[in-house]
Amino acid sequence: MRIATSHLGNLYITIKAWVQKLGLGGNLIIPPANNQRTLSLGVKYSPEGLCLPFKMSLGNLIEACEMGADTLVIAGGAGICRLGYYAKIQEQILRDLGYNFEMIGLSMSEHKLFGLPKLIKRLSNNASWFKVISALRFAVAKQIAMDKIERVVQKVRAVELIKGTANQLYAKAIEAIDNADDYNTLKKVQIDYIDQLNHVAKDTQTKPLIVGIIGEFYVVLEPFSNLNIESELGKLGVEVRRRTFISEWAKFSLFFNSLGLDEKSKIHKAALPYLKRDIGGDGWESVGEKVLHAKEYDGLIHLAPFTCMPEIVAQNIMPSTKENIPVLPVLCDEQINKTGMLTRLEAFVDLLKSKRRARNNTQHKES
Amino acid sequence: MEAYLGIDVGSVTTKLAVVGRDDELITHIYLLTQGKPIQMVQQGLKQIKQQLPKDVNICGVATTGSARYLAGVIVGADLVKNEITSHAVATLHYIPEVQTIIEIGGQDSKIIIIRDGIVTDFGMNTVCAAGTGSFLDHQALRLNISIEEFAKRALNSNTPVRIAGRCTVFAESDMIHKQQMGHRTEDILYGLCRALVRNYLNNVGLGKDIKPPVVFQGGVAFNQAIVKALQEELNTEVIVPPHHELMGAIGAASLAHEEMVGSNNGSKFKGFKVSEVRYHISSFECKACPNLCEIAQISLNGQVLAQWGGRCDLWERSPSN
Repeated sequence: MRIATSHLGNLYITIKAWVQKLGLGGNLIIPPANNQRTLSLGVKYSPEGLCLPFKMSLGNLIEACEMGADTLVIAGGAGICRLGYYAKIQEQILRDLGYNFEMIGLSMSEHKLFGLPKLIKRLSNNASWFKVISALRFAVAKQIAMDKIERVVQKVRAVELIKGTANQLYAKAIEAIDNADDYNTLKKVQIDYIDQLNHVAKDTQTKPLIVGIIGEFYVVLEPFSNLNIESELGKLGVEVRRRTFISEWAKFSLFFNSLGLDEKSKIHKAALPYLKRDIGGDGWESVGEKVLHAKEYDGLIHLAPFTCMPEIVAQNIMPSTKENIPVLPVLCDEQINKTGMLTRLEAFVDLLKSKRRARNNTQHKES
Repeated sequence: MEAYLGIDVGSVTTKLAVVGRDDELITHIYLLTQGKPIQMVQQGLKQIKQQLPKDVNICGVATTGSARYLAGVIVGADLVKNEITSHAVATLHYIPEVQTIIEIGGQDSKIIIIRDGIVTDFGMNTVCAAGTGSFLDHQALRLNISIEEFAKRALNSNTPVRIAGRCTVFAESDMIHKQQMGHRTEDILYGLCRALVRNYLNNVGLGKDIKPPVVFQGGVAFNQAIVKALQEELNTEVIVPPHHELMGAIGAASLAHEEMVGSNNGSKFKGFKVSEVRYHISSFECKACPNLCEIAQISLNGQVLAQWGGRCDLWERSPSN
């Protein structure tokens, strides 16, 4: 069995850790990190109107099949947006291309309560539950470490004196985490890199602008699809904040949600005056986050794949909320170009700067 | 005399403006880019030098427009600024009470919303060029009319025809259809103007809070028929400021002024002599990863001045280095 799945940020490291801890490292195929060829393949074989996440993940699966994968695991499910039928369409496209494989759609609705454990048993080659869970715990620890470091990177990028230092350290940290084989090494790597990041030469005079990144899960988490928007903002001296991290998401959707502790309930409550129900994807959350962060942040960037229904609905609701904060919508698809995006980001940052200056002036006058 | 230079290199035209200490325009140059931004910046520098009074001393330079980074490297810019901020700064200088700026250029169009002298929102056309100057250019060419004559004839229209302006391709077939039906050229021309305005407002202006005073600028503002169509559609007066086609360059010059006032260093301006130098441009495919980015580089006497075009930072050197 040679298993593969599509990419989502640095999730492959976590999956790899899980599989390796089960002693099945040889069974896993990791397609090349998202690149221009992945995108071209995905675009070529996808229906045109589908969204970027579909096209990118299809590209990953094609590259995985080329590398000899025979079992493809795809996230899907009974979502309200089109994600629900992505697994089926991707399966059909890959079959039409002549690849031979078994498709496993990861969704509760398909496997029911007892189907999923059975599936895990099968994929793990009948490993004991103790082994499966302890391997998963270690894998999740890796994800948590990566996300912790990334949060520090988001802060350092904005104020580092030599631009690009934080990114270089981050890349090295990811590599070190990938190579870590036990909890001790992992912990050491995490402490070491956070320490290094804290000691990067920084501009301590200026208070950086704070911009929140909201929007659709995939384009927020996959830097290739949003042209490294967080790095670009860092170069412009902006500190980026975002709610969406894989470890956070996993923590809640795997454990806390079933206990009735929903991290999104606060966000949903904030969105209620403007949108009363889930509309699929992250549309409800986008509206709620705008309301919640209007006072805290200087501005928001709303990322969405082109043709994404939930986010388009959210985008049209956002201007009418009474909680006001500048929002820059950025649509991601295969046509997005860096020059155009940079022009908008630069203008947006100028806007936020002059807004802050005006606010400081009025506060100055009042006091 | 202290003066500041602003250079706006757009897709269709290249504009240079020199302003004095009071940010008032001293002189300017307006050229067609013709796909040769480097040569046009050099030619512009050469020409503007001849127009400038002898005692003028350039104390700061800023570049803007889609070729702003390239132009910045060539002239040694103190500041490289995006078009939106540059336009807003210039317009606020001429019409301080402005609340909406409509800018339609050769290949892009934008809307800038201003409240109390501060930019609060903006929008740019994304995937479609149907609401821009090239669209009009192209259709004028089809009808075999010069773009100058276009406006004059369009204003003579009595019963403008309705043309689908959603997309250039459909607009064109619709226009041919109307011609073959026997409509007057004048009515078709004004119909086109209305289509462009509708397209602009439905695309770039979508969801924007357009309030008067509305200022209309950019190359297309030369076209009086578009001005009329805009006024009809918005139901308000539309102001076309003086030097409306130079706003980006004037704004850049003012921003250069502001930048230099706050700085202790002298200007990085390389002087008018750069119009004599031969820059070498080339490109190559980066093979460091499967992305195979096309990297463009500009060099002088074998020394690389700048490289860009990659997805990552591997080759990127900021113009100041």
